[in-house]
Amino acid sequence: MADFTLIAEPPLKGVDHNFGDTRLYAPDDLAIVSIALPLGAEDATLQAVKSGFGADLPAPGQSVMGNDDTRLVRLGPDQAFAIFTRATPDAEPHVQSLLKGAAYTTDQTDVWTGLMLDGPLARTALERICPIDLHPDAFAEGAAARTVMEHLGVLIIRTGPDAFLLLSASSSAGSFLHAVETSLVNVT
Amino acid sequence: MTQKNRIKGGLIDRSKEIKFRFNDKWFRGHPGDTLASALLANGQLLMGRSFKYHRPRGVFTDGSEEPNALVHLRDGAYQEPNTRATMVELFEGLNATSQNHRGTLEYDLLAVNDFFSPFLSAGFYYKTFMWPKAFWEKLYEPVIRSAAGLGRLSMKDDPDTYDKGFLHCDLLVIGAGPSGLMAALTAARSGARVILADEDFRPGGRLNCETLELGGMSGTDWAAQTADELASMDNVRLMPRTTVYGAYDHGIYGALERCTDHLADGGDKPRQILWRIYSRRAVLAAGATERPIAFGNNDRPGIMLAGAVRSYANRYAATPGKHVAVFTNNDDGWRTAADLVAKGIEVPVVVDSRDTPAPIDLPGVRHVAGEAVMNTIGRKGVKSITLTNGKVIPVDALAVSGGWNPNVHLTCHQRGRPTWRDDLCAFVPGGDLPVGMAVAGAANGAMTLAAALAEGQAQATAQLDALGIKAKATDLPQAEDEPRGAAAFWHVKQSKHRAWVDLQNDVTVKDIKLANTEGFRSVELLKRYTTMGMATDQGKTSNIAGLAILAEERGKTIPEVGTTIFRPPYTPVPIGALAGRARGKDFRPYRLTPSHKWAEQNGASFVTVGNWLRAEWYTRPGEQGWRDSVDREALTARTSVGICDVTTLGKIDIQGKDAGAFLDKVYANTFSTLKVGRVRYGLMLREDGICYDDGTTARLDENHFVMTTTTANAVTVFRRLEFARQCLWPDMDVHLISTTDGWAQFAVAGPKSRDLLRKVIDAEHDLSNEAFPFMACGHVTVCGGKPARLFRISFSGEMAYEIAVPARFGNSMMAVLNEAGAEFDAAPYGTEALGVMRIEKGHCTGNELNGQTTAHNIRLGKMVSQKKECIGQVLAQRPEMVREDAVRLVGFRPVDRDKKLIAGSHFLNKQAPADMEHDQGWMTSAAYSPNLGHHIGLGFIKSGHERMGEIVRAVSPVHGTEMEVEIVSAHFVDPEGERLRG
Repeated sequence: MADFTLIAEPPLKGVDHNFGDTRLYAPDDLAIVSIALPLGAEDATLQAVKSGFGADLPAPGQSVMGNDDTRLVRLGPDQAFAIFTRATPDAEPHVQSLLKGAAYTTDQTDVWTGLMLDGPLARTALERICPIDLHPDAFAEGAAARTVMEHLGVLIIRTGPDAFLLLSASSSAGSFLHAVETSLVNVT
Repeated sequence: MTQKNRIKGGLIDRSKEIKFRFNDKWFRGHPGDTLASALLANGQLLMGRSFKYHRPRGVFTDGSEEPNALVHLRDGAYQEPNTRATMVELFEGLNATSQNHRGTLEYDLLAVNDFFSPFLSAGFYYKTFMWPKAFWEKLYEPVIRSAAGLGRLSMKDDPDTYDKGFLHCDLLVIGAGPSGLMAALTAARSGARVILADEDFRPGGRLNCETLELGGMSGTDWAAQTADELASMDNVRLMPRTTVYGAYDHGIYGALERCTDHLADGGDKPRQILWRIYSRRAVLAAGATERPIAFGNNDRPGIMLAGAVRSYANRYAATPGKHVAVFTNNDDGWRTAADLVAKGIEVPVVVDSRDTPAPIDLPGVRHVAGEAVMNTIGRKGVKSITLTNGKVIPVDALAVSGGWNPNVHLTCHQRGRPTWRDDLCAFVPGGDLPVGMAVAGAANGAMTLAAALAEGQAQATAQLDALGIKAKATDLPQAEDEPRGAAAFWHVKQSKHRAWVDLQNDVTVKDIKLANTEGFRSVELLKRYTTMGMATDQGKTSNIAGLAILAEERGKTIPEVGTTIFRPPYTPVPIGALAGRARGKDFRPYRLTPSHKWAEQNGASFVTVGNWLRAEWYTRPGEQGWRDSVDREALTARTSVGICDVTTLGKIDIQGKDAGAFLDKVYANTFSTLKVGRVRYGLMLREDGICYDDGTTARLDENHFVMTTTTANAVTVFRRLEFARQCLWPDMDVHLISTTDGWAQFAVAGPKSRDLLRKVIDAEHDLSNEAFPFMACGHVTVCGGKPARLFRISFSGEMAYEIAVPARFGNSMMAVLNEAGAEFDAAPYGTEALGVMRIEKGHCTGNELNGQTTAHNIRLGKMVSQKKECIGQVLAQRPEMVREDAVRLVGFRPVDRDKKLIAGSHFLNKQAPADMEHDQGWMTSAAYSPNLGHHIGLGFIKSGHERMGEIVRAVSPVHGTEMEVEIVSAHFVDPEGERLRG
């Protein structure tokens, strides 16, 4: 058998631009695994999450940091994401082993593409595309929401006072980057 | 030209000079000027021509209500028509040209229309251009269109950029006049999140135009100080140059911010931003608009609203002339006289329609009480006025005040109807306001400064209270209640000459009377018949006078006659701003398949499928047209192996203890019995029994399925499944998540597909027919341990697989598959070859599952299991749905094999006439089959399955084609399905 090698080419790999003091970049090796809480066994799953990640699953619309810089985002009563850094394409078995079979897991890594927006212009830029209120009183650190920006579904998470992680579908990565970049250009 | 009408004072910066052009003539002005004020200061009163009669017109107002002074602004592709000179901030090098004239502004050839005015009354077009009917489209309309209209478009692409955005606040204050500033200050000091928007570039509203004092300082200074305080607060967003143009549902307002329109060079930043403002509460403090009085020849340049004359004098240090008469029916008009006198302008006369003593003592100013102006003389500028007592007074300008109308527009945007207030002779906001809106100040009929301030504070306090925010006590600045007495006096009956009501549409008193005489008596009909209140100003200065005259004619009161109401936008919004960034390729998002880059490098041509760009074929050197490529690709897949990126098909990960039972409910056929490691074709019905979607679903584990949907329905099927699990069967343990973008999936089809995959899939996986038969699925690894999923399914009808790898490897996987396939002469194929092969196999796509067809029609009726319940099962059994003579899916081939079949053709029996009554069905899909060497088609025809071999006609009146076709099996290639099991 001939040796064939597969090369990983995430759609926004290497994107890293500065707009004044604000940085827009695609985080390397972002891994995402969805966690679904089985009906009737939620308590056991929550317990498994706590032992697996060292953090309680937060309320829907919130996120917390667990072990190994894993961000746990609660998207709904029975759905959460674990977001962490992992280069190899085995994020789902990794989470599954941490949870010891207490939840249904699905690899979401390649479904999404991520952009970090960090700096004083972040909120001003997002005003141009993000319909939800990002004022710290309304969307504090750790808050997460699924919304739509320029017709693209986006999961937005506030990771710091001026820092946001945006996740959108990987197939429309070009449009997504364009939307965020244009916003930054327009406010710089 | 010198600024001969520039006077002392004003809020302009005389230390800097700005050069600008109007009709190719250079003028000078100062920062703080508008184009209108600078032209006035330069003595250029003539600024445009009227819409219909091409009468000379000058600026009439000082704000966004301007009906006359509309210009083309900027050059070339940047040119914008119908720009109100009153709203254009002066900048260095500004270039404006007047519009609506043939020849020069001074000598307009179409001014001839004015002489024909007796023929051009309301309804002229309707009455005149009725016959011959054929002339309308070819002759009348083009001629009228070329002569009429306001500005002209550049007819080039707009080179400016625009943006949109979203803002949120506790309190939106609309208007930064005294009332709005007070409301914003009250809310801001109380800690609320406040947005204060105003269309002007300088906050203050009328405070900047008047000489009123408040809090012991000038109104202007108080406004500036208050605006500064607001600007310094973190919880306030001060938005000058921003027009809130619409009040929409749930406290959402539309606003247009003009970002760079006031700059000579706007740079590359967006010119305008269209904001969507989400407010919890709003205070409308939009002020009031002055209205004119109609009298003979009241449209000449130099005749202006009194408040505007005052504004030009006080704020812009400009006057329309040195001898300015005043004609008023109210106390406020007298302020113009007083302010002009204070500026050293001669006021030869104040004509007050009321026979009452002067409200202000103005030494040296003649007061004519109980009379009116009935005519004016002067072609390109007023030279004299004639009073009803016969006196002729030479003037070079006339300030007219007919009272003030509250700006109720935004209160009407959700069909709120204003109510009449006799004491103001004006409409004020009715009780039915948009949710969360309160109105304050002049917009609410609080016409004096002290009242406006108090109301701004009170409304803000009440709004904060409703939000649970306690308003901090803020002292009201000391201000006076200036005299505002007014009389209902709309037009001068003694006038023999044309008296304009709507300057922008050239509607006169006579037109309104004529409309009434001819039966157009409702205000809505009056508007449409005369065009009063239409076009860019939407009748801001004219509507009330028009209603009053109609009421008078009908012998009724104004409230009895009623009023038209307003819709968004309050002032014009450029289409460019509404489009925002959504232009060209950014009109909507695009989605790329994982192998897009490889496809681009290998000759692919792309087709849009929804938002996706899919390779439709891959051109190879020497191929003359798309058919060459497609035929080759389809033949390659049937004789060797072809590779197609099928990532776009929807993928839904379904997990849970009840996943199998759930699928039984959403699919017409059964899935709970599917063995782990197997795939099944599934058909989904709508509730009414019509086919909804189809695809394959694989069982990867006892509680784990992966469903595929059609590309088109990926989102809607997911949504439907979520609805089913959350709302229909919340007791089932089922969890869904989309993985469409997560897996790059490739069809590898053809007799050599297994050989190819053996080179890519790691050796420990047994691909033999026994170990991995048709409809098998499972996890494998490829290229040395990379995770993958393998499905033995076939859309082409060949022995075929679909292999999925994490999307990040997709581009590389496409390259690897083609490289590995080189020894078999493998070829990538696109959507066209995919289509050809599925037609050859009689497989359905959207053409067949078009939302009108049933399982019975597509001859899969037996798939609708009667052993279990599923969505659509009951209604699919309705007698009409399962009738024996229903159309059924079959194949077609042309009797003359050289003929090309056309999808969309209808079938008719041999001798039948071509009408709907004899319609037998229709052709859904057609293609040239390179395997058969002729065209083939799929289609629905009545009882098709029982008519094999019958010849019918395929007729397309759209294409003008008719041919004989033979009904055959829909399975043109390998009807027994031996290949795919091989």
